[in-house]
Amino acid sequence: MTTRAASPNPFLEDFAAHAAELPGVGQPWLDARRADAIKLVRAQGIPHRRIEDWKYTDLRSALEGTNDPGKAPSVARLRNAVEQGIEVFEFKGDAPKWVVDGFGVIGIDGTMSAASFALAQSTIALHVPANAKPAKPLEYEFSGQTRLLIVVEAGAAVTLLETPIGGDDSFSNAGIEIVLYEGAKLNHIRTASNAASAIVLEDLTVQVASAAQYRAHFMSTGTKLSRTELHVTLEGKGAEAHVSGVSVLGDGRHADVTTHIVHAAADTRSTQLFKDIAGGHSRGVYQGKITVAEGADGSDSRQTAKGLLLGVHAEIDLKPELEIYADDVKCAHGAAVGDLDVESLFYLGSRGIPEAEARALLMRAFLGDAVDEIENADIRASVWSKVEAALAKATEAKP
Amino acid sequence: MLEIKDLHVSVGGKEILKGLNLSIGAGEVHAIMGPNGSGKSTLSYTLAGRVGYDVTGGSIIYKGEDLTALPTDARAAKGIFLAMQYPVEIPGVTTINFFKTALNSQRRARGESDLDAVSVLRLVRGKAAALKVPEEMLKRALNVGFSGGEKKRLEILQMALFEPSLAILDETDSGLDIDALKLVADGVNALRAPDRAMLVITHYQRLLNYIVPDRVHVLSAGRIIKDGGKELAHELEAKGYEQIIKDAA
Repeated sequence: MTTRAASPNPFLEDFAAHAAELPGVGQPWLDARRADAIKLVRAQGIPHRRIEDWKYTDLRSALEGTNDPGKAPSVARLRNAVEQGIEVFEFKGDAPKWVVDGFGVIGIDGTMSAASFALAQSTIALHVPANAKPAKPLEYEFSGQTRLLIVVEAGAAVTLLETPIGGDDSFSNAGIEIVLYEGAKLNHIRTASNAASAIVLEDLTVQVASAAQYRAHFMSTGTKLSRTELHVTLEGKGAEAHVSGVSVLGDGRHADVTTHIVHAAADTRSTQLFKDIAGGHSRGVYQGKITVAEGADGSDSRQTAKGLLLGVHAEIDLKPELEIYADDVKCAHGAAVGDLDVESLFYLGSRGIPEAEARALLMRAFLGDAVDEIENADIRASVWSKVEAALAKATEAKP
Repeated sequence: MLEIKDLHVSVGGKEILKGLNLSIGAGEVHAIMGPNGSGKSTLSYTLAGRVGYDVTGGSIIYKGEDLTALPTDARAAKGIFLAMQYPVEIPGVTTINFFKTALNSQRRARGESDLDAVSVLRLVRGKAAALKVPEEMLKRALNVGFSGGEKKRLEILQMALFEPSLAILDETDSGLDIDALKLVADGVNALRAPDRAMLVITHYQRLLNYIVPDRVHVLSAGRIIKDGGKELAHELEAKGYEQIIKDAA
């Protein structure tokens, strides 16, 4: 009988080597939270497919044979200057109270979010003051192990445009915490990584107070392995989350979107709309769990996930899940995977539209309602152009 | 215009058309009538070149060219139009955008230049009014949420727009009340022209009171078993398919 040696955990080695150089080191509250996080990494190990939540995304296997993730340069930065009194804290000097209150408080729930917290060499925190409504989106880019905290005070509204910038063979693990106070609104758009062979992980935790709204759109073209994990708690009356996304996957790509939305207060609303198109040898994953907690009466949650397979080697796994502990709740969910409709293809052909063009038209139509969830017209147009390019790639892959 | 000789067509390995002959000249309107399962829709799909409708024998000569090897879109570009019994709904594509894409695809295939959005809209507007297709309908997703009558009107609007040489109307009367039927028939009659042939496929004689055919053919078990003038439709209505099929045997 052979036993497999326990795989070395590169995150623990990384921590041992770099703990003393981490941003803000020496501040007791931060050192203590990092120590707790690394304990979690040690206890849970690297996720693999025998862990239910990671069933479709085998991180352990993907990490074997890649560059040491600890060597990936850590970059977390804003591309543009901030306006309207937005505060940026980069962990130089003592942390202000809003950082101490928020950083590492809600967003550590598993190995990868704990790893980004304990290991991020590049970290920023953003504070949007009450009622600020900056016109320009905050453009955030990241690679390597990084951490971001955004606190949006009451009545403020801001757009976050987020882009992974790690190159080929890079490893990124972004941890993001978002706190929205009463009546605040965040429009969050995550665009795709261009690096086919990268591993891009992201763990988002969002806390939404009463009458506040979180809107997100995740556009993905997949990478060797990519996963966006979103945890939203609607914790005040009337809080809302509207999450949408499209994954357009060419040969060899993998994109996983895993969400958990908790309706923790009455009259909260959530909608989810995800569309995946998978070509070549690729895999799209959507796991969406909705919990309506006790007392969250009058909550309304809708969840739709659809997949389109372009060939026999592509795979799409959709897993909606509902847990309801409240009364008078409206929950609707649906998931379906299929091929392009032959009736529609024939109809378009009979009107003179060549097959390749008819297929492209039906694919754009399939993705349309999800992309159109993006409120900002400029961003929506730029996402559409990325979708077009990705569709061209996904369809050129041999089925 | 169209010359079909000894046409044999199989669908899923089962022979549906078993030696069909039909000849339609320019400017003529022919009707094909037949009971359910006689092969009416198979004929219309075969003429339009639908995948899965395998021509296993015979020929379809259109304007002197054998169609059987041509894909669906190429046939459309050559002027063959099929008004479908069940027009499909396509969410996410507006009707006007679909018209533009289809028109320009056909134009490109014929080596003509694209029309811009304004020219397409101008072209559509004039023809839409006659068919009582409101402009608001053009902005909605293609056929999504349209009534049966609206869908059929939209089919005829496309026919007016594409100006085909051969128009095939497959059960265009199905699901229409009498007002909608008249409107659609008027639209079709307005498109009768010396250089255009039409093939009207129907189960009932009713439509042929409004679109009066030059010739009527009875289809049964994959073959034309009887031909005649427009009076044949009335004879069918009076006697029923069973009797006509028995008489022909």
